[in-house]
Amino acid sequence: MEAPPVTSMPVTGGAINMMEYLLQGSVLDQALESLLHRLRGLCDNMDPETFTDHELVYLLKGQQGNPFILRARRSLSHPTSPWHLRYLGQPEVGDKSRHALVRNCVDVAASHSLPEFLNEMGFRMDHEFVANGHIFRKGVMKIVVSKLSRILVPGNTENTERLSLSYLVELSVLAPAGQDTVSEDMRSFAEQLKPLVHLEKIDPSKQRH
Amino acid sequence: MQQREEKQLEAAVESLISRVAHVKNALHSFIYKLENEYERLTWPSVLDNFALLSGQLNTINKLLKNEKTPSFRNQVIIPLLLSPDRDEDLAKLTEQRVPVFSHEIVPDYLRTKPDPEVEEQEKQLSVEAARIGPDGAQKHIQTLNKLCSNLLEKLNNPRDDRDSESAAIRQNKPSFNPADTNALVGAVAFGKGLSKCRPPGTVAPGHPGQGPMMSGGPTLQQVTIGGGSSQQAGMGGPVAPQQQGQPGKMPSSIKTNIKSASGSMHPYNR
Repeated sequence: MEAPPVTSMPVTGGAINMMEYLLQGSVLDQALESLLHRLRGLCDNMDPETFTDHELVYLLKGQQGNPFILRARRSLSHPTSPWHLRYLGQPEVGDKSRHALVRNCVDVAASHSLPEFLNEMGFRMDHEFVANGHIFRKGVMKIVVSKLSRILVPGNTENTERLSLSYLVELSVLAPAGQDTVSEDMRSFAEQLKPLVHLEKIDPSKQRH
Repeated sequence: MQQREEKQLEAAVESLISRVAHVKNALHSFIYKLENEYERLTWPSVLDNFALLSGQLNTINKLLKNEKTPSFRNQVIIPLLLSPDRDEDLAKLTEQRVPVFSHEIVPDYLRTKPDPEVEEQEKQLSVEAARIGPDGAQKHIQTLNKLCSNLLEKLNNPRDDRDSESAAIRQNKPSFNPADTNALVGAVAFGKGLSKCRPPGTVAPGHPGQGPMMSGGPTLQQVTIGGGSSQQAGMGGPVAPQQQGQPGKMPSSIKTNIKSASGSMHPYNR
């Protein structure tokens, strides 16, 4: 079940195709404070926002080809908020000069019965993790600094252990397809975070091996 | 002679009035800024205002020291008429600040001696100065000048030395680890290191029909490799993915075609 090529058809009739532009990096624990200070200075002035999220990744296996992946995310700090379901397509292999990773992105909100619904549909949960950290915003850009934790007992989000001694830093923009100036803005913002963090385009398919 | 002095006096007083008016305006705008725009005020702009005031006071001092200025000490101001009634002309002249020329305002506005406290301090300072003596004073002045010039030199000149020191310190403490970056990105993108608390690559025992939990990493990898290896049908025998523990959970998509290698089945026909 390959995802249809992005440029030829919209994902839902009449809706705009949204692309996610992404740059990722990491920062060690001891440098976290200075990174947060710098982000507070660079980003829009808002109260520092922390979040704790539990993300579950569901797979639907077809007869052949790659499985279809959906990501369900819920907030542990706001338990009554709706669940957030997201589909991320394959990264677009456009010209190499594009500075950010671009992929098709569909976001919907869902009720609390989402896990059972996905199970009934035939999806199986592949892995889950807990992410907590800080979120900053600058215009349309969203910067998330998060600490990932592994869930030791499935379903129990209290019992977690950290995945590594670093925080993951992600700079992302959701924009309609075809806007290429976005990656330029992202790159100049990433320049301002050097040498604390090196935000770069990391192709997930290259990470597998 | 008298006329020349009078003219000089008049000119000096006029220029003094205009300088003082400048200082007044600068103070007025500064106070306005401090009272109304204090949220947006930055320290450099406050410093600018202070610098402006100091410059204006300096010009007043220079004016007073000017040789063309007659000594104001020789002039005497005597109030000729004091009345408690409101004087409109005076009020207009002073912008409503002195509406009445009466007994209350005379001691403040026509004062020539400094405040008693200020007089005390001045007396103390002159006693101190007399105690040190001219030689001691000269030595103090020289030390002060030397300290100031040293400081200026340090601030102006070798900025490169300081930069290289700080750069060396910063290099010793890297703030990110590329290996961690890869690990985290792998975890977020496809659950590397997250599935069942076991790193991918080990064989999953996997009980068939165990509900939603499945071996994550190995499964993802094997599906893609399975897609690729179905084209290797002529090679004979299943390839590695099958060995990763497929306990009959899903029908394998790999079709194997074991045939004896004969001339007609050669994949690379000449």
